[in-house]
Amino acid sequence: MAESLPVDARQFVFKGNAKEWFGIWIVNLLLSIVTLGIYSAWAKVRTKKYFYNNTFADDRNFDYHATGKQILIGRLIVIGAVILFQIIVSLAPVVGLLLVLAMLVGFPWLLVRSFAFNARMTSFSNVRFGFTGGVGKAFLVFLLYPFLTALTLYTTFPILDRAMKRYSINNHKLGGASFNIEIGLTPFYKALGVAILWIVVVGVGGALITGFSFLEFSAALENMALAPEQALPTIIMFYVLFFAAFLPAMFIYQAMTRNAVYNHTSLEGGHRLASNVTPQKLLWIALSNMVVVICTLGLMLPWAQVRMTRYLADHTGFIPGSSLDEFVSQQQAAGHAIGDAFTDLESIDVGLPI
Amino acid sequence: MAAESQLQGYAYPPHSSHREPARLTTRGQGPSAWLEVHSDRYGRLITAELSEVAVDPPLGSAPRKMTFPDGTVFETLDHEAVEALTGKTSGSTLHYYEGFRPRLIGVVAVCLFAAWALWRYGLDILAAVAIAATPQPVIEQIDVGSMQTIDFAMAEPSRLTDRQMDDVRAIYRDLVRTLPPEVQEQHSFDLLFRSIPGVGPNAFALPGGTMVMTDAFVEEFDEPDVIAGVLGHEIGHIVDQHGLKRLYRSLGAYFLIAFLAGDVGPLTEDLVLEGNVLLSLSFSRSQEREADRFGLTLTKAAGYDPAGLKVFFEGLEAQPDFGWTSSHPSNADRIKAIDDFIKSQ
Repeated sequence: MAESLPVDARQFVFKGNAKEWFGIWIVNLLLSIVTLGIYSAWAKVRTKKYFYNNTFADDRNFDYHATGKQILIGRLIVIGAVILFQIIVSLAPVVGLLLVLAMLVGFPWLLVRSFAFNARMTSFSNVRFGFTGGVGKAFLVFLLYPFLTALTLYTTFPILDRAMKRYSINNHKLGGASFNIEIGLTPFYKALGVAILWIVVVGVGGALITGFSFLEFSAALENMALAPEQALPTIIMFYVLFFAAFLPAMFIYQAMTRNAVYNHTSLEGGHRLASNVTPQKLLWIALSNMVVVICTLGLMLPWAQVRMTRYLADHTGFIPGSSLDEFVSQQQAAGHAIGDAFTDLESIDVGLPI
Repeated sequence: MAAESQLQGYAYPPHSSHREPARLTTRGQGPSAWLEVHSDRYGRLITAELSEVAVDPPLGSAPRKMTFPDGTVFETLDHEAVEALTGKTSGSTLHYYEGFRPRLIGVVAVCLFAAWALWRYGLDILAAVAIAATPQPVIEQIDVGSMQTIDFAMAEPSRLTDRQMDDVRAIYRDLVRTLPPEVQEQHSFDLLFRSIPGVGPNAFALPGGTMVMTDAFVEEFDEPDVIAGVLGHEIGHIVDQHGLKRLYRSLGAYFLIAFLAGDVGPLTEDLVLEGNVLLSLSFSRSQEREADRFGLTLTKAAGYDPAGLKVFFEGLEAQPDFGWTSSHPSNADRIKAIDDFIKSQ
C-alpha cells in the first residue's frame, strides 16, 4: 500500500526538531502548572505557532495568529458555563435535563465557531484561511446524521464520515480560494471493508489458533473472584486478541480514508493535495510513541509529537496548479474563542488536516 | 555596533501570498530605529520606525516575522540580527530559558515536582477554595436535587417500622452529639430511610450532609455497634466534605488535563484519560480510609464498640480484590486497619 506521491507533488516539510520543541514544551508546562493552568492559553498559542511555523509547503510556512488573551477569555467563559451547568444539574435535575437538550442545539453552533476561529487564526504564506459553513448544515452533519447512522447499526458509517469531511473541507478557504473535495462513497466503503476483513481474519484466525471461546471467557469472568489464577490467562488472551483485531483495523480505516480525502481535494487555482500514509507505519508510530511516553513519564512526548508530525508531513504532498503568489486574504470576522475552548475541552479536532 | 545593517529575507505585500526576495536595512538603535524593506525588482517597499513594527517573539529556529503598519510582512532567518535590533525583550528571555542546554534539566526537575505538588496539594487547595466559595444553601440544595433523582430513578419509600427507624435515629443522635458543637452546626445531618432494591445493605452520605440508609441494612444488621460503626464512617465523609472535594477535584483535573496536556496524539490520549480515572480512584480509596479512621474514633467516643464496623465488613459477601481499579479499599484491608486501631487504643 506504500504508493508514492505523484511525481509532480511537492512534499510538505516539517523543520521542527524534538530538542528545540522539548525546551519550549517543558517551559510551557512549568509556567502552566505554577499559574494553575492560566498560562496554558499562551502555551497553546506557542505550541500551535511552533508546529505551524515549522510546516512548509514550497518553502512557505503556516502561522497561527490567536493571542493567549483571546484563548484565555474563551476558556474562562466555557469553564464558567460548565460549572454553572453542573450546579444547575445538581440543584434542579429537571431544568438540567432541559439544558442538556439546549446544549444539543448549541453544539453545532460551537463547532462552527470553532472551525471559523481556527481557520481565521491560521495563515499560509501570509494569507488567512476562512470558514463559511452554516450552523444548520452542521446540525445535520454532526447531530442528526450520527443519530441516523446509529439506527442503521453503523453500516452507513462511511456515508457519515464522508459527509463530515465534505462539510469541513468544502467550507474552508485559503484567502478567496475555496477548497473542494470530489469523492464518491467507494473509497470509504473500501476502507471499512478492509478494516472489517482484518478484524474477521485476525479474530477468527486468532480464536482458532489459541482455542479461545466466548463461553470460556464469560466463565472466566465469573471465576475471577474465586480462582483468579485460572481465569486470568483467558482474560488476558481476550484482550490480546481484541487489540490485535481492532487497533490495526482502526488505523487501516484512518490511513485509507486520509489518503483518499487528500487525493480528491483541490484548491481553487488548480492546486491539488496528495497523501500516501500507510496503516502499518501510522500504527507503529502511535504504538511506539505511547510506550516511549509512558516509560519516560511523559518526558518524551515532544519527541513523539515531532515524530508523528514529521511522518505526516513527509507523506503529504502539494501539487501546485499555478503560482502560489496569487492568494489574497479576505476580510471576515474572526469572532471569539469560545468555540475553540469548547472543542479543546471535548478534545474535538477541528484543525485543518495538515 | 554599526549604525546601519542589512538582513536578507522575504517580503509579503499586505494580505497577499506574493513572496518576494527582499532585504531589510536598519538605521539607528532603539525604538526609533528606522527600518526599510527593499527588493531588487520593486525597489523600496516600505519604511517605518521600529516602534511601529510588530516583531514576533522568537520561537525555536522558525522564521522571524515583522509586520509593518500597513500589513507588509518581512520574514527572515537571520535570528541574531533581529535580536540585535530589538534588544532584550520578554520574548527573548523566554526563548533563552527554552534553549536545550544542561540547565533545562533543572526546569524538568522543577516541572516534575510541580506536577506532583499540583496533583497532591494544588487540586486540594483549589477544591477547598471552591468549597469555601460555594454558599451553604447551594450545598444543601444539592442534596435536595440528588434525593429527587434517587427517588425518581431507584428508591422506594422505606418499609421499616417506626420502632426500627427510631432505634437507628437514637444511635445517629448519639454520634452527632459527640461531634464538636461547631461541626454539628455546619451540616444538616438529616437521616433518611429508603428501600433501594439491588443496592443491598448500605448507607451513604450526600455532599450537604444528608444521610441515607437502606432498609436492607437495618434488616440485616440490627446490632447497635454495627449501625454506629457504619454511620460513624459516613459522618466522616460528611464532616470532611469528601463528596464536594471529590466533585471539585475531578472537575479541576478534567479542566487541567484538557487544557494542559493539549494534543498528545492518538492512543496516548486515551491513556491520559485512563490514567486520570485511576488516580481519582486512588484518591477515593484514601478518602474511604480516612472516613474509616474518623468513624472508629467517633463511635468509640460515643460509647460504642469500634469492632462493630468490622462485623459489617465481615458480614458482606467475600468480594474479589480489584486493587487499584476499585473505588474502595478491599474489605480485608479495612478489617485489618480496624484491628490495628482497636489494638492501638
